[in-house]
Amino acid sequence: MATAFAYLWALLHAESQWAVGGLLLLAVLVMFGLRRLRWGEPLGATASASPRVLGVGCALGVLALAAAFHNVHFALLLVCTVLLYAVVCLGLNIQFGYAGVVNFAGAAFFGVGSYTAATLATHTALPHALVLLAGGAVAAAIGSLLIWPVLRTRGHYAALVTIAFGILFKSFLEVNDTLGGPQGLRIPGLNLFGWKLGDGFELAGIEISFYANYVLLSLVLCLAAFVFVRRIERSWIGLAMDMIRTDEVAAAVFGVGIARWKVLAFTFGNFLAGLAGAVYGMMTGYVAPNNFTFADSLILVSILILGGIGNPWGILPAATIVLILPEKFQFIQEYRFLLYALLVIFILLFRPDGLLPRTVRDYFPGRAPKDAA
Amino acid sequence: MGLDILSQYVVNTLMLGMIYAMVAVGFTLFFGVLDVIQFSHGDVLMLGGFTALASYLGASAAGIANPWLLLAIMLLASTAVTAALGAFVARFLVLPLKNAPPLNTLLVTLMFGLAVREAVRLFYPNGSNPKPFPRLLPDTSFTLGTLALRADSLMLLAAGLVVVVGVHLLITRTKLGLAIRAVAQDGETARVMGIDFQRVVLLTFGLGSALAAMAGVMNGLYYNEINFGLGLLLGVIGFSAAILGGLGNFLGAILGGFLFAALQTFGAVVLPMVAPAITSAYKDVFAFTMVILLMAWKPTGLIAERSSERV
Amino acid sequence: MTAPLLAPLLEARALTMRFGGVTALDALDLVVHEHEILGLLGPNGSGKTTFFNVVTGLYAASGGQVLLDGAEITRHSPQAVYRAGVTRTFQRSRLSLPLTVFDNVAIGQTQHMNPGLVFNLLQRRALRRQVDETIEQVHALLQTFSAGMAAKLWQPAGTLSMIDRRRVEVCRALVSNPRLVLLDEPSAGMTHDETRELMDDILLVRSRLSPFTIVIIEHEMGVIQRITQRCAVLNYGKKIAEGSFDDITRDPEVQLAYLGQDVAEGAQA
Repeated sequence: MATAFAYLWALLHAESQWAVGGLLLLAVLVMFGLRRLRWGEPLGATASASPRVLGVGCALGVLALAAAFHNVHFALLLVCTVLLYAVVCLGLNIQFGYAGVVNFAGAAFFGVGSYTAATLATHTALPHALVLLAGGAVAAAIGSLLIWPVLRTRGHYAALVTIAFGILFKSFLEVNDTLGGPQGLRIPGLNLFGWKLGDGFELAGIEISFYANYVLLSLVLCLAAFVFVRRIERSWIGLAMDMIRTDEVAAAVFGVGIARWKVLAFTFGNFLAGLAGAVYGMMTGYVAPNNFTFADSLILVSILILGGIGNPWGILPAATIVLILPEKFQFIQEYRFLLYALLVIFILLFRPDGLLPRTVRDYFPGRAPKDAA
Repeated sequence: MGLDILSQYVVNTLMLGMIYAMVAVGFTLFFGVLDVIQFSHGDVLMLGGFTALASYLGASAAGIANPWLLLAIMLLASTAVTAALGAFVARFLVLPLKNAPPLNTLLVTLMFGLAVREAVRLFYPNGSNPKPFPRLLPDTSFTLGTLALRADSLMLLAAGLVVVVGVHLLITRTKLGLAIRAVAQDGETARVMGIDFQRVVLLTFGLGSALAAMAGVMNGLYYNEINFGLGLLLGVIGFSAAILGGLGNFLGAILGGFLFAALQTFGAVVLPMVAPAITSAYKDVFAFTMVILLMAWKPTGLIAERSSERV
Repeated sequence: MTAPLLAPLLEARALTMRFGGVTALDALDLVVHEHEILGLLGPNGSGKTTFFNVVTGLYAASGGQVLLDGAEITRHSPQAVYRAGVTRTFQRSRLSLPLTVFDNVAIGQTQHMNPGLVFNLLQRRALRRQVDETIEQVHALLQTFSAGMAAKLWQPAGTLSMIDRRRVEVCRALVSNPRLVLLDEPSAGMTHDETRELMDDILLVRSRLSPFTIVIIEHEMGVIQRITQRCAVLNYGKKIAEGSFDDITRDPEVQLAYLGQDVAEGAQA
């Protein structure tokens, strides 16, 4: 675990493309070696047996990274972006991975959150904590409007509706001048209960970038979302959703309310997306329609698939790969949509389970289930 | 509103409807034979348009000036390329995922569409900007009383009609069409009856994609412009149209195409008259909202979708 | 050796089901009595599975009524029918293969699961208690059928053999202690011995819990003969015969339906 984070530090630190290339090669070789020597298995076993330890370890790792880059704005911004995108993908995970509701407008709901934050923070005196929640709430509300008509239909209808929304969102915003048009809107910095996240600070004489504040906030959000998603999975709710995804008819015949859980899954997912969007908007200080295209929604889906659909553990590594690599390999930045599309196609054809395949439901891990074989 | 403006709107709607119908027919064909939604269909259309443009540029550089000959070359090149691509998608993306959860097929075609879109944007010279499409059809207009009708619109409409009727005849009167219908109805039984399932599927995908190329060329000729993002919106519209008409239903797809065009025109023309704040730019939003509401009312399409779920 | 028939539990009155031009159920009248085991027979396409689908709310009847304990359930959703105490198995195996055996059986107990958000997300200790209770129940039920299967409680259902998967489906239908169980060709894909074992296990469970009512669609006549008290035969959506197994096998109309015009006439000649 520590090595993983040390590696990430090295990656973020690396400036030249050669250094990055070398690091990547190292990673691939190590993964290959692990698989060959079967060292990965005991690692995986301890991971599933004590998820709390793993979670705490990850959190500490992120904090360590933040400390290491305490005054490098860009690196911290990247970390934040990864964490916030992970929150959105966790939401998508509930929709795609559990309930089987497709959503190709993830970036649009993210954008809804940002725009809500923009309007509320600029024009009202609503405390920012509520603004963030409102970002999530508005996204969830719009989502419910969308999903209601397609509840009685099959998967591809939901796909159509969310794709249409994803495309139209951008054009709607560009045409609409009250929401800033193509230039977008400025957003004031986040001010939570007096804590001005937009200000850098000093700790024991060391100057720390204001992005560190956002890292802390994003980390907390990410952890909360993660615990939320895991608890959903490891409960009767997760069971109901999984049943709906795999066989709706059987689920209905045994009392599972299909509409209820689908709507709930869709709503939760979009709430998380909106919330993350609100934080992101206030962190970057502005929001513009160009950031929330359909292709961006597809990137979010790519992260989900790369990480292993249905497995929340895979999201953070996948988000890291998808977001950090193009920054480091500047030359692929232009090609990233194409590359990710091809990557996902490759995964779907040859390794559909992704990096970390989903495991069976363990309601209360770490405790020996009764009568295991 | 004067009759001449009205007639322009009508012709425009018919034009759009024809293009949408051709795309929708593709979707319906794919769904019919394999129960899949081929989300890259719109982008294949766009690629067809760009291929036509490229072949035009190549042919004119080689000295060919006759517009009909150029058109023929463009059509030939674009349909060949898209048909091959369609068959490629069927063979290597869709068929291998026949037994995977339907979500995977959805995703793979969606991603392929993205890949095609990005490839054109990145690799076609100056791909991100709209490109002018050659004016190959005669520039004349007819006058019918006070109405002025452009000759090219009429030609495109006629061409579209011929193509659609042709495909309909192909499906209903030929042996291949019979095979396609057999596979669409019951793939297993068709196989048992000796029909080469894979060949029919590849041919169907090729056919649907060739139709898309023609729609792309028509689109280019009508608007005299083409851009890499064309496929996305057209694909979504074509898909909605196919759904409106009932997925798997050939005539329904055509109906859906025209219906969507009518909704768009209605939104662009009537809405600003009713509520001045709503500009014509919202026509897409209006049309899609109507589609979504229609789906809520009749989830399986205005004409029922072919259902294959056995309890 | 006919026990006196108890009160009617399930009643179909002039039940009709039309799909476009096809009439799958044609004004069907059928009564299933409390605690009885009724065999539902008939050639393929006679409407047996359609009957199950209408009763369980998967299809909306075109006409007529379905009554459970005298109360009308014709327009009920599948979820409501389940809550009224009716469960079923399917002709084609409908398990969720990636989910564990436990998950697949536990879903039969949704009636006793608390679906609340607060309960599932925040009241983890109470949830753990409910999960443990369900584990005990499911495990005990599986044990009755096959110890080997019970040992695979936490493995994906996809790792089970076809016969074990069928058993899991039966367990799923039984775990909620239902009043009425609809079995749709439970023996499909099994040998005679496996079928006999399965039926014995079902009867064993039935004797331990309350004696739930069973309606069983079967083509294997040995099963029908052995475990049913009464039979009803459907043809073209109508009931053509009713009575004990021996009665209906002797019925000429039944012979006609199953064997066809010539053979039946030959038998009579």
